[in-house]
Amino acid sequence: MKILMKPIEIIAWFNSKEKPIPLKYRILDENNTYKVIKVDRVIFSQEEKLAGNRMILYRCESTISNFRVIYELKYEIDTCKWFLYKI
Amino acid sequence: MNKRIIFHIDVNSAYLSWEAVYRLQHGEKIDLREIPAVVGGDESKRHGIVLAKSIPAKRYKIKTGESLYSARQKCPNLTVVPPNYERYMKASNSMVDLLKEYSPLIQRYSVDEVFMDLSHIKDRPVLDVAYEIKERIKKELGFTVNIGISSNKLLAKMASDFKKPDRIHTLFPDEIQEKMWPLPVEKLFMVGSRTQKKLNGRGIFTIGQLAKLDREYIYSWLKKPGIMIWEYANGIENSQVRKDPDPVKSIGNSTTTSYDVDNRKEAHMFLLALSEMVAMRTRNIGKMGRVISVSIKDKDFYSCSHQKKLDVATDSTKVIYETARKLFDEIWDGKPIRRFAVSISEFCSNELYQLSLLKNYNQREEKLEKVIDAIRYKYGYNSIIRSCFLHSGIKPIIGGVTTEEEYPMMSSII
Repeated sequence: MKILMKPIEIIAWFNSKEKPIPLKYRILDENNTYKVIKVDRVIFSQEEKLAGNRMILYRCESTISNFRVIYELKYEIDTCKWFLYKI
Repeated sequence: MNKRIIFHIDVNSAYLSWEAVYRLQHGEKIDLREIPAVVGGDESKRHGIVLAKSIPAKRYKIKTGESLYSARQKCPNLTVVPPNYERYMKASNSMVDLLKEYSPLIQRYSVDEVFMDLSHIKDRPVLDVAYEIKERIKKELGFTVNIGISSNKLLAKMASDFKKPDRIHTLFPDEIQEKMWPLPVEKLFMVGSRTQKKLNGRGIFTIGQLAKLDREYIYSWLKKPGIMIWEYANGIENSQVRKDPDPVKSIGNSTTTSYDVDNRKEAHMFLLALSEMVAMRTRNIGKMGRVISVSIKDKDFYSCSHQKKLDVATDSTKVIYETARKLFDEIWDGKPIRRFAVSISEFCSNELYQLSLLKNYNQREEKLEKVIDAIRYKYGYNSIIRSCFLHSGIKPIIGGVTTEEEYPMMSSII
């Protein structure tokens, strides 16, 4: 996987028990058009607090152009921002 | 009394490590710790000095505190990143939170140094605990620390400074002779460049040489501070790990201006902006001070200072500013200035106010200052400012990274 760390627009599900769950997000592709990607499965998630900055890392799986792709998302708790971290 | 076990935990190149880890977490591919890099102030505002350096930068003989200009001359491909104090505070807090799992007795000595009393640990070797702490910080928080272990704070602090990074050292009293005495005398806590000169002048170059001096001799020569460093050289120090911060002895703020100030009016404005901060901080801790001092540095880096003891203690912005202005007018020779500082000391409580027969006491002014403080704490420092600062380009309140409680500063008292 390659590090991208691209900010993304996302729809996530905040329930009363678990960490927020990413559902789908959109990202600008090279033609400057939005591409919507549905998160099929969260394989695992883990919280990190490197240098005291809390982030939740999600390893996810999606189907993109008929391929199954595994990638990682990051959610920064302090700023409420989501990133496409690695793909 | 049982033997005490004190840890001193020191973050390796704190600002730089924290910056590096934060950047890696945000997808940066290069680890700042592995290339010649420094955290440096803003050169356009003339704050361009090295605040922290990586170990590869150290190999170019770059020193903390030197100008970025000279650092770049030593290493032309140096990476310079700006500081972010909020980020560092977060990293520091996360480390203290982790340490609290091991002991309730923790003293935050500065933003990147912590003393910890672990005398209560009896069921396992303290060295194991030290390794566990060091590895956990590395794994969970992503940065490395040095841990010094001894039976008092001074020796623990000396030990953590031995070999860096990511190491644990012990310096118990029976190891002083072997580990501490051969070190150059300037490595000893509280021996600065001036004391070093004095000591060197009389042929004292190592900590061991200082330790072996006669106590009476050092007292007759350097007085009380001499006894203190002599005791330190012999590993004598028995202060407790204090949970509460020390009582404040003085409050001061300073600023390096972004251009040389050559006229009195602007100089007075800088003093006012600094006085605002100094007075606000004084009121914030419920104190009043009697001694006001001002220091300035001119464009040739020549500095001078001047102080005055007031008849009655004060916490009023107006009094502090007016005194500072007078002091300034007395010492300024008209040379362009690059740095101003205002400070207040000799504190007493502000619960009782000694009225002066010679001066007017204005209760309304006191109330007004309280209200202004409250507005500023609630809505930000610039929510209410003096009109003379409008369109002047000078910040109406100058000084401080954040408030005291949030940002522990270095201290000369361990």
